[in-house]
Amino acid sequence: MGTLIAIGAAIAVLTGIGAGVGIGIATGKATEAIARQPEAEGKISKALLLGAALAEATAIYGFVIGLLIIIMLG
Amino acid sequence: MEELNCKTVFTIPVFGGIPVAESIVVTWIIMAVLVLLSVILVRNLKVENVGRKQLLLETGISFLYDFFYGILGEKGKRYITYLMTVVLYIGIANIIGLCGFKSPTKDLNVTVALAVMSIVLIEYSGIHAKGSKKWLKSFAEPIAIVAPINVLELFIRPLSLSMRLFGNVLGSFVVMELLKIVMPILLPIPFSIYFDIFDGFIQAYVFVFLTALFMKEKME
Repeated sequence: MGTLIAIGAAIAVLTGIGAGVGIGIATGKATEAIARQPEAEGKISKALLLGAALAEATAIYGFVIGLLIIIMLG
Repeated sequence: MEELNCKTVFTIPVFGGIPVAESIVVTWIIMAVLVLLSVILVRNLKVENVGRKQLLLETGISFLYDFFYGILGEKGKRYITYLMTVVLYIGIANIIGLCGFKSPTKDLNVTVALAVMSIVLIEYSGIHAKGSKKWLKSFAEPIAIVAPINVLELFIRPLSLSMRLFGNVLGSFVVMELLKIVMPILLPIPFSIYFDIFDGFIQAYVFVFLTALFMKEKME
């Protein structure tokens, strides 16, 4: 049972893949945009920060679910 | 694992005992600090020959005010003070872990309460701006078939708001505790700057930013 719980929590944490890819793409695009228009850096980095925080939330959900699995079942 | 749970500090002996959690006591401390600061800082404010203290205060407040004004516009001016209070509270609550207290936002009950307050205010702003008939009609926009999804949004928004704040604070706390086990000296310092200070402020910013954004959307 303990092994199964650990595997379940590990699968839940796999949501981090999506967040990592998403933040990577967003940062890449932001870098391109800054290279094209260096004067708009302030606005771009503000939007990037917000987007990164929102994309990170998916990974956080996975973490919360994993923690809940361990606390509730373990 | 023991640190994750929110302990009951004491019990009020009325109605069969009301348990008072640790997060509430820390919230009282934050409230006391904020009230004291707002009493001390607003004394001796002048129109001319402003001091350095007043200049700093005005810069900070007008930065926050302009930020929310830029999102909400003229119609949503009345909600700015609430949003400023919430961002001050969450910001301090997230970094109070550095002072040895337990962050109130690490307790799911606190973040859920904040998110419920947000969603109530979001819907209230819609009702106030458009009237209840138009507010009800706004659920069936752009076409009537999406109405269930719009109703579902009422529950998804506070859920995601509260879970985002709670998960981020708890997650950074767990990472910091693990780092302290790996190497108690020097190593946690740069991570603490990111996880405790930067991430805490970013999450406070994101919380109120999203609340203001939803409010703006409801008021249109």
